[in-house]
Amino acid sequence: MMILNVENVTKTFTGKGKSKTVANDNLSFRINKGEIFGLLGQNGAGKTTLVNQILGVLTPDSGDIHLLGKSILESPARARSICSVQPQSQVPLGFLTPKQAVTLIGKMRAGKTFDPKRVEMLFEALDMGEWANREGEKLSGGARRLTAFCMAVVVPGKLVILDEPTNDVDPVRRRLLWQVIRNLTDDGTSVILVTHNVMEAEKVVDRVAIINQGRLLAEGSPSEIKRSVSNQMRMELSLSEELADIEMPSWVLSAHRNGARLLFSVDPSYVSSSLDWAKAQEDKGLVIDYSLSPTTIEDAYIELTSREVIES
Amino acid sequence: MMDLLSHYKYVFQMQFLRNAGFLVFMALIQILISIGIVIGFTYLIPDPDTSTILFLATGAPTIILIMTGLVILPQQVGTAKADGYMEFMRTWPVNRSVILGAETTIWLLITVPGIVVSSFVAHLMYSPGYDISWTIIPALLMIALTSIGVGYGFSYLLSPTASLGISQVVVFGALMFSPVNFPMDRLPEWLQTLHEFLPIYSMAEVMRASLAASTFEASTWNYLNLFIWCILGYGGAIFILNKK
Repeated sequence: MMILNVENVTKTFTGKGKSKTVANDNLSFRINKGEIFGLLGQNGAGKTTLVNQILGVLTPDSGDIHLLGKSILESPARARSICSVQPQSQVPLGFLTPKQAVTLIGKMRAGKTFDPKRVEMLFEALDMGEWANREGEKLSGGARRLTAFCMAVVVPGKLVILDEPTNDVDPVRRRLLWQVIRNLTDDGTSVILVTHNVMEAEKVVDRVAIINQGRLLAEGSPSEIKRSVSNQMRMELSLSEELADIEMPSWVLSAHRNGARLLFSVDPSYVSSSLDWAKAQEDKGLVIDYSLSPTTIEDAYIELTSREVIES
Repeated sequence: MMDLLSHYKYVFQMQFLRNAGFLVFMALIQILISIGIVIGFTYLIPDPDTSTILFLATGAPTIILIMTGLVILPQQVGTAKADGYMEFMRTWPVNRSVILGAETTIWLLITVPGIVVSSFVAHLMYSPGYDISWTIIPALLMIALTSIGVGYGFSYLLSPTASLGISQVVVFGALMFSPVNFPMDRLPEWLQTLHEFLPIYSMAEVMRASLAASTFEASTWNYLNLFIWCILGYGGAIFILNKK
């Protein structure tokens, strides 16, 4: 079932001296029920502008956005009750404690049917118990970020939009956070994850869209995106001495040497040959260590966005 | 309707708790300022007569309401704009006028202690001739709503820096160049004309007519003037809140 349908959305901002910035350039994509959709792009790519249009806070210059089959342009207020959002900037809590803030937003969304146990559950899942009753002003950046996350997901609605939710959050709680996001989708909630932290997103998203300078560069599952760029493997070796003379096997595709570091790519069918070869070099004492890794979505992302720069 | 009421309740709690410490502090400051106006101005004027003191004592509540709506509130709105809280409120699943309504209640509440305490102190010290009419409740509401509405209007419309500038001018202008603590006829003619249209003079007149009903009366124009400014202020604020 389709939750969100973004069709040919264009949004332009007029700056000083009538200079124009195209924040969104004819963007189209769809999000299905229970899906985690990653919106990737560099700073200023137009991600937050897009989010604000989905929430009905901004109106597109052209194009339309349908939420559960109805246009947002017709009823922005409806959009705000279907979507809940964690903004990119910190939410200034003032004297509110996380427990008060999350509970009140929950009541605002669910009214009398709100179950306060949900707050306890979230705080436990994210290991936030120690901060629950501390005033917002006295909390660390990470604790405040997690509070804003809880405010967005306490009564999630059909679509949850998370704008850089892991900023300032420690690695242990990041893992917990991803788990909570995953659990949301089990209940049929869809999630838009806005981020420039590409590596981290790869593990959790079902589908991604890469946006650059307001335009959609690629869309698909992380593996589809990677395949669209290349499906080669990457081998990296540290040589024992800078001038070591190593004979390259014939199946090495593109090699690059920088001092004692040697990098090359290989076709996936040569993975075991590469490993055997590298092991042999290590036994000879020519190589200190080596690693073989698949193309990451970050490689794909950088290649896609840099291609764009060359073309433009 | 039930939705609106419960939204109002939760938004009120949210905004109240978020600013709790600040609000207590502000209410205390206002008590000091209003007592200060009554007592302090008597130092400025040698041997003030009862009518002068009555002017001061019935002007102090108006000053409090002006300070709250046109000075403290715009500063708070400026901060909320700058730190992104305003943007966040716009994503809440509630009617925007509910947010405005809940916040107005809070601003209204913090003015009450200052007004009550200063009037009490003035009465005990000078007995200047208070004659409080029942109209004090609607008058107070009307003045407060005008002041708060206009404060919202310009602070939502303008940049934080511009509205901070305006509020500085308002503090000074209201205390020294407005017929709140002294009669209108002491001002130069052009300033009198200006005050016929600005809301400050009308606020002062309406307040006085309720606090000392046997001495002062307000004209229909004063009430109408307040009403127009009140609509303009809230209308502008709601327009900006719903703007995309």
